[in-house]
Amino acid sequence: MINLATRDILHGWGRFLFTGVGLGLLIGVTLSMAGIFRGMVDDAQVLIDNSGADIWVVQQGTLGPYAEPSSIRDDAWRGIAGMPGVAETGNAAYLTIQMSHAGKESRVMIVGMDVDRPGRPGAPGYLTAGRPVLQGHYEAIADERAGLHLGERVRLRRHEYTVVGLTRRMVSSSGDPMIFVALKDAQEIQFLKDNDALVNERARTAANPAFNRPGIPGLLEAAQAGAAQSRNVNTVLVRLAPGANPDVVAGEIQRWKRLTAYTRAQMEEILVAKLIATSAKQIGMFLVILSVVTAAIVAFIIYTMTMAKVREIAVLKLIGAKNRTIATMILQQALGLGLIGFMVGRVAAGLWAPVFPKYVLLLPGDAIGGFFILMVISALASVVAIRAALAIDPAEAIGG
Amino acid sequence: MDKVDKIPAIKLTGLKKRYGTGDAAVDALKGVDMIVWPGEVVGLIGPSGSGKSTLLKCLGAVIEPTSGHMELAGETIYDDGWKIPDLRALRRDRIGFVFQAPYLIPFLDVTDNVALLPMLAGVDNAAARKRALELLTALDVAHRAGAQVSQLSGGEQQRVAIARSLANHAPIILADEPTAPLDSERALAVVHILNEMAVQFQTAIIVVTHDEKIIPTFKRIYQIRDGKTHEEAGEGRAI
Repeated sequence: MINLATRDILHGWGRFLFTGVGLGLLIGVTLSMAGIFRGMVDDAQVLIDNSGADIWVVQQGTLGPYAEPSSIRDDAWRGIAGMPGVAETGNAAYLTIQMSHAGKESRVMIVGMDVDRPGRPGAPGYLTAGRPVLQGHYEAIADERAGLHLGERVRLRRHEYTVVGLTRRMVSSSGDPMIFVALKDAQEIQFLKDNDALVNERARTAANPAFNRPGIPGLLEAAQAGAAQSRNVNTVLVRLAPGANPDVVAGEIQRWKRLTAYTRAQMEEILVAKLIATSAKQIGMFLVILSVVTAAIVAFIIYTMTMAKVREIAVLKLIGAKNRTIATMILQQALGLGLIGFMVGRVAAGLWAPVFPKYVLLLPGDAIGGFFILMVISALASVVAIRAALAIDPAEAIGG
Repeated sequence: MDKVDKIPAIKLTGLKKRYGTGDAAVDALKGVDMIVWPGEVVGLIGPSGSGKSTLLKCLGAVIEPTSGHMELAGETIYDDGWKIPDLRALRRDRIGFVFQAPYLIPFLDVTDNVALLPMLAGVDNAAARKRALELLTALDVAHRAGAQVSQLSGGEQQRVAIARSLANHAPIILADEPTAPLDSERALAVVHILNEMAVQFQTAIIVVTHDEKIIPTFKRIYQIRDGKTHEEAGEGRAI
């Protein structure tokens, strides 16, 4: 038996292909939405992986350092470093700022890290060019997506920094590229006020009788010096010794240091389940709507194509074609349309993914899953047309 | 062989068809009697609304009569109810249809339009196409075997439609206004072909027509009026 669906498609292949391309663009959008969600999850995962930490120690009762503000003293690491199971600690400060570079504005995440010795948690895991930050001040390592080049100087708040190294896929949970600087620099960027603010603050402090008491020399200067600098960081990153149980070590840190400590699993939960939960639901809603729209479009196209063949279907039924033969023809056309749509959509999503400002991760598993979902949608969408075709009276082929 | 010794290809006795019920009921057929012999081409004529199409649909097992008796090639297929469980198979294997327009399947080429019928009956593709080519040769359109339907003239399309109706060796062909869209020359050519095919394949052919050009060619005519048939001798004019 010849395949009626294939013959019909080949007979009007141009129209069929054009319809498939249109559907494919819609499917491309659907795949891209899934890719955006995967990219968000991957950004969160990358953020955790790139920190090089097994435990994050943050201000008590906060979900810091990524999901909520957290502030702890920058010497807290000393007490943590001596605890059983802790192999290495590193201070880290994170803040997102607007960077102006080459006439363009972009958001970047500044990461302050310990630069006293290499390999501390918080430093970028690898460099694609250049060298690590060696000086205590005004050197930076930038993610390639920040658009900076080796040797380039970039202004971050009050000071200019020289890019000495480049790295890749070091992004915040929002997908902003990271710029790594020395911890002291990050603290300055984060807390140091501008000169006008400092002058005003000093005048305000000098006018405060509590800090400017007659007969206590040096009190005002000490108060003003304290206001001009910060000794806080957002987190202490902890790397565990081999064999150490992260839950036990985190529990000990919480118990003895009056701080909150999160294990890697808990941090993944915070970043994936809490931080991007709303975005994930938003994208999930879009995916549901796009799936419904896709089903409606496939159903409409297949129904229209079927209704254009009422006479042919009536003749087929009159000359003895089984309902199964006619239903199979319509089903195969719906699946064929879905197949063309999927191929066009997958190619389109792959082509436009790099243009998106945020990372779009198109996983083969998602594509395969999407393909099967699309086939099911196409099959379900053909039901309306099949019902209509089976309702066609073979008598319609006979005049009168 | 005398007709007395033959089994009629079609035999209708008191066939009735009523549409609707109660006050809205319409009796389209009020007891039709008809006999058509193998190898015979019979005309079925009558004004619009006389019941021609209803009779054709009953003969084609497309609609169910209300009562009466119907035999095809000696087998009772209706006797106040269908006696054949699979009407689809009956239409496919034992009744050929030729329509007012050819109604060929536009996405199949000429050969497959004819071969489709045997294929639907389970004949393998090669054998079905061989049968199709034989019929296309008999109908003098074999040279268009690989063409698309849209590339054929109206006359060629109608010949392909006739070939399709013969593809499963059907003993009966029901032709519904087969010459309506054709000019005189082509219309007479189609009737000539139908006569040839009837003789060659011993097929009984009923031609429903309004076409004054072809009515004189029938040897026997059934006039249908107010739901009843009246047999008349035709002129049987040579084509």
